[in-house]
Amino acid sequence: MIQLTNIEKYYANKGVKNYVLRLVTTTINQGEFVSIMGPSGAGKSTLLNIIGMLEEPTYGTYHFMGEDVTSLSERKRIELYRNHIGFVFQAYHLIDEMTVYENIEAPLLYKKVGSAERASRIADLLDRFNIVAKKDLFPNQLSGGQQQLVGIARALAAQPSIILADEPTGNLQSAQAEEIMSLFKKLNEEEGITIIQVTHSEKNAQYGNRILHIADGVVKEDVAVLS
Amino acid sequence: MFKLNLKIAWRNLWKNKVYAAINIGGLALGLTAFVLMLLYINYEKSYDSWSPELKNVYQIREKHDFFTPDNKEHWQEISNSRIAGIIKESVPQFTAVTKIDQEWGNGFSVKIDHADPVMVKGIKDADSAFFNVFPYQFIQGTAANALKEPNTVVIKQSLANKLYGTDHVLGKEFKLVRWRDDTGNSLKITGVIADVNTPESIQFNAVSHTGDQDHDPDQIGSSHYTQIYAKSEGDIDTLSANKSLQKVYVDFKKKSFAAEKLNFKDVYKDGKSPGLKAISLKDVHPNPPFSLNWLDKLKPVIGISIFLLVVSIINFINLATAQSVQRAKEVGVKKVLGAYKKQLILQFLIESTLQSISALFLSVILIEILLPAFNHQFNITLSFWHNEYLFSIVLQLIAVFIVVTLLAGCYPAWILSNYNPVSVLKGNYGNSLKGITLRNVLVIFQFIISVTFIIAIGVMHLQTKYISGKDLGFDRDKLINLRTGYDQNFADKIRRIPGVQYVSTTTQVMGNAFNNKSKIIYKGREVNLNGVTVTMDALQTLGVKLVSGRLFAKEYVQDTINSVVLNEAAAGLLGKNMVGQTYGKVDYQGKTITFQVVGVIKNYHNEGFDKAVLPTVYKVSHLGGTSNTNNLLVRFDTKNYKGVINKIEGEWKKLYPDFPFQYQSMDDAFSEILEENKRFMNMVVLFSVVSVSLSLLGLFALSTFVAKRRTKEIAVRKVLGASNFQIVNLLNKSFLILVVTANLISWPIAYILVKKWLEGFAYRIDLPLYPFLLSSIISIVIAVLTVSIQARKTAIAEPVAALKYE
Repeated sequence: MIQLTNIEKYYANKGVKNYVLRLVTTTINQGEFVSIMGPSGAGKSTLLNIIGMLEEPTYGTYHFMGEDVTSLSERKRIELYRNHIGFVFQAYHLIDEMTVYENIEAPLLYKKVGSAERASRIADLLDRFNIVAKKDLFPNQLSGGQQQLVGIARALAAQPSIILADEPTGNLQSAQAEEIMSLFKKLNEEEGITIIQVTHSEKNAQYGNRILHIADGVVKEDVAVLS
Repeated sequence: MFKLNLKIAWRNLWKNKVYAAINIGGLALGLTAFVLMLLYINYEKSYDSWSPELKNVYQIREKHDFFTPDNKEHWQEISNSRIAGIIKESVPQFTAVTKIDQEWGNGFSVKIDHADPVMVKGIKDADSAFFNVFPYQFIQGTAANALKEPNTVVIKQSLANKLYGTDHVLGKEFKLVRWRDDTGNSLKITGVIADVNTPESIQFNAVSHTGDQDHDPDQIGSSHYTQIYAKSEGDIDTLSANKSLQKVYVDFKKKSFAAEKLNFKDVYKDGKSPGLKAISLKDVHPNPPFSLNWLDKLKPVIGISIFLLVVSIINFINLATAQSVQRAKEVGVKKVLGAYKKQLILQFLIESTLQSISALFLSVILIEILLPAFNHQFNITLSFWHNEYLFSIVLQLIAVFIVVTLLAGCYPAWILSNYNPVSVLKGNYGNSLKGITLRNVLVIFQFIISVTFIIAIGVMHLQTKYISGKDLGFDRDKLINLRTGYDQNFADKIRRIPGVQYVSTTTQVMGNAFNNKSKIIYKGREVNLNGVTVTMDALQTLGVKLVSGRLFAKEYVQDTINSVVLNEAAAGLLGKNMVGQTYGKVDYQGKTITFQVVGVIKNYHNEGFDKAVLPTVYKVSHLGGTSNTNNLLVRFDTKNYKGVINKIEGEWKKLYPDFPFQYQSMDDAFSEILEENKRFMNMVVLFSVVSVSLSLLGLFALSTFVAKRRTKEIAVRKVLGASNFQIVNLLNKSFLILVVTANLISWPIAYILVKKWLEGFAYRIDLPLYPFLLSSIISIVIAVLTVSIQARKTAIAEPVAALKYE
């Protein structure tokens, strides 16, 4: 599904290249649950951003679902966002002026999903995540864990084939974090959604089935998780 | 999506109530000034547009130099009455021609049966063709027959209602008395016409046909000047019509010069030339013969109001971009959820549209509130909802609205939609101070204008205080002017009324000054003085102050022959110790008459303070002099002179039953003189209020913008140990520099402008320093307060919030 070949990312500063990523080559298949791990500044987030097409690599090629997306027009990229990619953020990034319901609805509106379909999908998600009672609240009226649930519900609303999560539990307490990670695992196993997460926590990484260890921009280790 | 965006917009506005209110309020202020001006322009443009048939009506203008302020030739609205007949005969393009007499005096007296006479303004005397030319709508009577007979009158519905309380007045008669002892004409009402709903260049309440306009003066040498209007049947070629007019005019001039034994070439030399033309009625108002037309007069005001609108738009943009940081996350998230940039731009444009719609509504409300004051100020009747051209005004408003919305909304929308999702979602956005120089310059610019306005108000206030408290040189208390000619019999009668101290006349008094040049020869030197003719006790009536010598008195026989009194200005021109001196004056027969100066009085004011008191010589004539200029002064020796006036009115009614009794107190005359100055000052105050509010908004926007951008810096400083006070100071300092710069720039500008304004007064204060200081202090204080509101908020915020994402 994702094929990265010799991806490099560096910032040139006064003729000196500061490498963030060096010659990253990897393939991620449909249905995998990959955790990217590594120390601060290793380039984890940059790698995730490149996969999410939020950043462009300086060098290398990137195929997403068999298509070269190394440099893509904005229009095409937005089409991918609408149909295939869901983002989950450490800071949740819900829109403060929208209610829970509206936050989940937003991607569907962009995707131009009809109103009946929209209502049923949102109802389904609210139900699944046990947040029906919260649907008319605003993000600042929710706890962090609840906010992240909404964030994930929003990411799922458009029925993406892949979810990209940047430290999804970084701001959460461990009980809530566990809840979120189990949810990810369930989504991966039951619905076959590809998940790529960046995490610091070895424990969280164990929920997935593959770990990419990165240090100083280089993939040091690529190990499968045995369950 | 649209609905959701609207909801978001509303929630955002609600969340940032204060900003929204400031933003909308500022825009509304700018819009209000602009729309008021728009209404005014519409009003001026609507002149003479009450009927589509008016496009066939033309005003005839003759080029001549009679009655001009500068003795030069102008295309004048009044023409030789003979021209009307000539056009009728020889210019076939015009099918109807009418002559309208000029109005003179302060209105005419209308006496209905035995009721008290009332003064009515705007009774124009015309010939019988008036309604052949002007397509007024008759409610009673017919256009064809109304003015056929002499001594008929057609009145407007409003006047009919005022005089009779009904418009069913056909066939009724009233007596028109044009001056105090005019025998008057009895006029029969033969028509009532509907009032028109646009302003007219020929303002009238009634058109009479006394018959006076039916014939021209018998002697070829004397002329009667009237307004002439002509009507064409359908569209005509104005160029060729004017060619014919010019030709018949030159022929007419040649013929009449021959009869007067004048040489055509002798008259038309030194650049003078004969001229006659027709101008379309709609061009009459925009082209006054002497003064600037309204558009030229209005240009500075148009400039200021456009500027204010632009400033308010700029403030709007500033505030919106400063606020945009808050929306950055929304943009970032929406982008990764799959929103096109186009959609985002649209969303933010809709948001600013929402705000400008509110601003528009607010400004419509403001206009409704302000219009009465505005109308009073400019002495016009503007209205918004009841405007004849509401449709076109609404169209213009929509156009203004669209332009304003696009101007105000595009930049913030563009800025917002350009946010890069990665950096926004990482939490570092909006830290750049890009565009800050431009914003600084704009704020300085706004403050320059505000400070200049404040200084101007200060100086104007001082000058106004000075002139309204200035010693006029005469006692304006207990003094009234009956505004009528001197009649010995009447004067004697009211002299006998207890409470009346003096009754006299003069050709020169505040409210009605007639300047008459008088050339004298003093010690071989020719001096031009202003000559004023008074009755024996006029100077006592006025209560002027004697400097040396004496005033006129009955005991001195020579006082009615060759005694004169000078004012100080005249005495200063001639020399010292003028009392007892003599000078010569050549009379119209060429003989030199000798006059002796018997007294010198202090200068007293007759006109506005823009004019210096002229060097004046006062001479007595027992009849009020050769020029009777309708002044009859009465001084009372009691404070409660109301009852005395009633007695005078009683005497007046006995003598002049057909003409109403009118008087003006000298206090009122003085207020009238101050009026124009007051109006100008009010306008300056109005503009400065708008301008100061706008620049405060601008400063507020900028300080918000900067405080937002410097949030991180402030947080770091706090963590390093800065107190709240130090942080408020830090922010204030950067703005104080702007305000002080603006002050430094505006001082010389204000100095030049204010000095120029003061120079328009012959009597003025020395340019004081403290309005300058005061305006600087005011501007600095309010700037500090404005910035501190914002700075304090930033300063007391928890630093953690700002540093969290780093």
